[in-house]
Amino acid sequence: MAFIDIQQLTFSYPQMEQPVLHHIDLSIEEGEFVVLCGVSGCGKSTLVKHLKREITPHGDATGSVLYNGTLLNELSDKIAASEIGFVMQSPENQIVTDKVWHELAFGLENLGFNTMTIRRRVAEMANFFGIQTWFRKNTMELSGGQKQILNLAAIMAMQPKLLILDEPTSQLDPIAASEFIATLHKLNKELGLTILLVEHRLEEVYPIADRVVIMDKGAIICNGTPKEVAKALQHVDQHHPMLGGLPTPLRIHHALKSQTNAPLTIRDGRQWLTNNFKAQEWQSKKIYDRSFEKKTVLSVKNAWFRYEKDGLDVLRGFSIDVNQGEVISILGGNGTGKTTALGVMSGILKAYRGKIMIDGKPLRKISNHELYHQCLAVLPQNPQTLFVTKSVISELQSTVETQNLTKEEENLQIQTIVRKLNLESLLERHPYDLSGGEQQKVALAKVLLLKPRILLLDEPTKGMDAASKTVLATLLEQLKEEGVAIVMVTHDIEFSASHSDRCALFFDGLIVSSDETRTFYSGNHFYTTAAHRMSRHLFSNAITCEDVIEQCNQQQNRMIHS
Amino acid sequence: MQPTTKSNDPFLKKKFIITSIIVLILTPLCLLLGVTLWQDRRYNILSLIMVILACIPFFLSFEHKKPKPREILIIAVMSAIAVAGRAAFVWAPAFKPVTAIVAITGFSFGPAAGFLTGAATAITSNIFCGQGPWTPFQMFAWGILGYIAGVLGKTDWMKYKIWLIIFGLLSGILYSFIMDIWTVISYDGRFTWSRYFAAAGTAIPYTATYAISNIIFLLLLAKPIGEKLKRIKIKYGLLEE
Amino acid sequence: MKAFANYHPIVIFLYFVFVIGLTMFYMHPIYLIISLAMSILLSLQINQKSFLHSLKWMVPLFVIAALINPLISHDGEKIILYIDDNPITIEAIVYGFAMSVMICTVIFWFGCYNKLMTSDKFLYLFGKISPAFALIISLTLRLVPRFQQQIGAITQAQRAVGMDVTSGNLLHRIKCGIHILSILITWALENAIETADSMKARGYGLPKRSTFSLFSFEKRDALTLTIMFILMTINVIGSFLGYTDYYFYPTFSELVLQPISLLLYTTYTLLLALPIIIELWEAFKWRSLISNN
Repeated sequence: MAFIDIQQLTFSYPQMEQPVLHHIDLSIEEGEFVVLCGVSGCGKSTLVKHLKREITPHGDATGSVLYNGTLLNELSDKIAASEIGFVMQSPENQIVTDKVWHELAFGLENLGFNTMTIRRRVAEMANFFGIQTWFRKNTMELSGGQKQILNLAAIMAMQPKLLILDEPTSQLDPIAASEFIATLHKLNKELGLTILLVEHRLEEVYPIADRVVIMDKGAIICNGTPKEVAKALQHVDQHHPMLGGLPTPLRIHHALKSQTNAPLTIRDGRQWLTNNFKAQEWQSKKIYDRSFEKKTVLSVKNAWFRYEKDGLDVLRGFSIDVNQGEVISILGGNGTGKTTALGVMSGILKAYRGKIMIDGKPLRKISNHELYHQCLAVLPQNPQTLFVTKSVISELQSTVETQNLTKEEENLQIQTIVRKLNLESLLERHPYDLSGGEQQKVALAKVLLLKPRILLLDEPTKGMDAASKTVLATLLEQLKEEGVAIVMVTHDIEFSASHSDRCALFFDGLIVSSDETRTFYSGNHFYTTAAHRMSRHLFSNAITCEDVIEQCNQQQNRMIHS
Repeated sequence: MQPTTKSNDPFLKKKFIITSIIVLILTPLCLLLGVTLWQDRRYNILSLIMVILACIPFFLSFEHKKPKPREILIIAVMSAIAVAGRAAFVWAPAFKPVTAIVAITGFSFGPAAGFLTGAATAITSNIFCGQGPWTPFQMFAWGILGYIAGVLGKTDWMKYKIWLIIFGLLSGILYSFIMDIWTVISYDGRFTWSRYFAAAGTAIPYTATYAISNIIFLLLLAKPIGEKLKRIKIKYGLLEE
Repeated sequence: MKAFANYHPIVIFLYFVFVIGLTMFYMHPIYLIISLAMSILLSLQINQKSFLHSLKWMVPLFVIAALINPLISHDGEKIILYIDDNPITIEAIVYGFAMSVMICTVIFWFGCYNKLMTSDKFLYLFGKISPAFALIISLTLRLVPRFQQQIGAITQAQRAVGMDVTSGNLLHRIKCGIHILSILITWALENAIETADSMKARGYGLPKRSTFSLFSFEKRDALTLTIMFILMTINVIGSFLGYTDYYFYPTFSELVLQPISLLLYTTYTLLLALPIIIELWEAFKWRSLISNN
């Protein structure tokens, strides 16, 4: 008998005809680390919520879920609450109290433990997770990564036997995400905790999982050890959106239809490349076109900025030139001031020294109305800051209305943008009922209705799965064709490597290095893409999966022909 | 806003009984004690005690009801918005959205939620700005306004603008009057009607600003926030729980 | 610093209840002066910077409050002049000053209260009466700064799509303000549901909830509490026996120094000075600890 046993689970939401889950069978053994993945909307979140009774969604469910041989619904309230822990996506929303120590104790208070027991458990947790130094702080003062660790610790204090996590790292920056995953790995290895992790960013979790389960359209399509799943995926179509989320070595392996044992980590990937391919010089066909000089639309020279009069400088001589029809990525660690830089570029924050020019005109001489209509637009990090109304269509209408157009023109504009972004099916929905990726799209549509020539994006890929990223990439490509200048601030190395013309590294208040994307990444040693790290000993300038695949394909073809 | 709870709610009955006991027995007892022992002075201490006493039945009945996490969250969110709103309008004395937000919560979620939102707003905003002897008075004033709003929310009246205006006006005056009681007795512990009217007279500009800001915020916010709260109720089944 | 702050919340809270209650109760000039002096001493000890800062508006307030009384109250026997046929009396002037001292003293005490009785201590005590309501306060305390941050983010995002609070006429600005508030409320309510789920998932609502705190009631707390109660009782008995009565009208009552009133003054001072004494005592212990090593 398995620890968790899901039998023939079928579920549909009220007023929806299509079930979200079809006859799911899944069993998990005690001590396993299981990763569940799939594109967004495949039903993975709905499935794991059925393992946590308190938050199971309303709807029609058939089939059964057994926990340790007992039906989940027959467990006592106390056991259901304490033995099954659930960590959600948003680090912010899960925190209940204002003090770190109280947050750690919250679950234990609910279970009615006495002060001595709580004190001991809280101390244990603080030690295990390294919380001692911020134990007495306010929860508001923590960073995103710390918040998520706190959420995990608060649940671990209740000593669960099964830990379920629903995309816990999607709101974190890469470094905090790695730390979080490492903590999970430690919990699994050192305490034998059973973990069920839902993730779409698989680069790090795939190699450490005991089992990988892949879902598609409400059904499980693969279920086995990481290697078995890698093999099973060979039968899946090359262009399935699921594949975009796989770790780089596996994607390359898959794309080349290799029959050898699949490499899961960068280290194995390097080995595998060395065994199968040889070094070569190669020039990509796709190279940044410097031949015709494009017009500089936005230029910042030596900007200095601080939030308070006596505060620290956040920008210290920040400079950048943005040309028409190009995509620039600004990369850099968390809290270095990238978002501030974007604020200064958009005129929302005022630099106290330095020059900011738009189309050769000083920014401060342009009125807000001129600036934000048909000139410059910002997509904020949190798309929800833009939503005012009750439906997507009225969101779009409210934006168009600010532009003094005739009714027909307004409708035309809305129709155009709807078609461009494939929003047809979402028009009547409430913005908050949409998934993160869809919200991002609607926010982008709103911003694009202002017809900007300069578009500034703040972390546009945050929380997006591979499929949504592809949609965004196509859109950026289109805008670029139309001559829009695009600047994005991002943590997403892989996305910027594939979809930007230039990359700039932001550090300590200014841009320390800036170059054409390929040169930028092939020059960096640590701060570079997984594909480059895996392949640089053979192909010095390959930076994306596609590059590596192309080179390997060339070699394979040559071998066949010679 | 539609009627949210049935009037034959057992909790409501129990609350009513506790409230009656405390208000009807303890309060006169306190008054008697104060008048005989303190020779009809020291209304300042007495009034503080009484205001705190008046709040206790609401807290007790709330405890007794075993509130669901979602109810707790709604009250906390609305109070936090009121506090943040109070802070956002710090440059405009007396022009605050607090009463309006408390009242709107009352309209949608009933008298108990209205009272608690008002009380929580007073306590929290004073944690940020510094507690003073006025805290219990504010707690009571906003609480009772939320309570009244909750009772009115059970009728259909609040759908009409004219009632919103009347409510905004009266709530501004009532708030001002309750706080004036404190102003008068905080001065020398005595309460006389002539002084009270003098204080109320000097406070007229404030009272007017309270009333006007209440009306403006109610007219502008009642419908949109009411819709948002309704959506939350429907989407997350707050009614069925 | 602030040895008294480390005492159990109930000790700190009752101290302020006693002190502020007695301060508001006594109109006796000597009591007023003792309380004023002690509140200033304690403020200087624990809250120096903001206390000195607050004097800027406290002094004018003091003067205004003192001057109001002779203008509205015309009781008393010692008339010094008439304004519009209304007598201005020395009694009324002195009474006004006494009231002013009392109000300022209470405000000083509340300043100390705010410094010593931090939100977590208040919540701990409140949680004993109404745990669910204390939880609401705790949640609200966490949400307020979060909302303020979000208001900032919304303001910036909206400015870039043409809704600018900082420019335009008053009507436009109010409209923008409401707009921002409206966005904030939707966002807050939608996200709150997840917080509610997180509470439920961690077993909120199970019977027999306990409350945990970092505070523990020690021997020194019991000792201090006992001393406080003894001093308080002495003073209350003294008041019942009429030793603390003082009248300004029709004219000042006489100040008599009896042994018993000396005892009352001393106990009152001791009660009010408890935090200061504790502070000095701890400082002394600390110094001797270091010099012994």
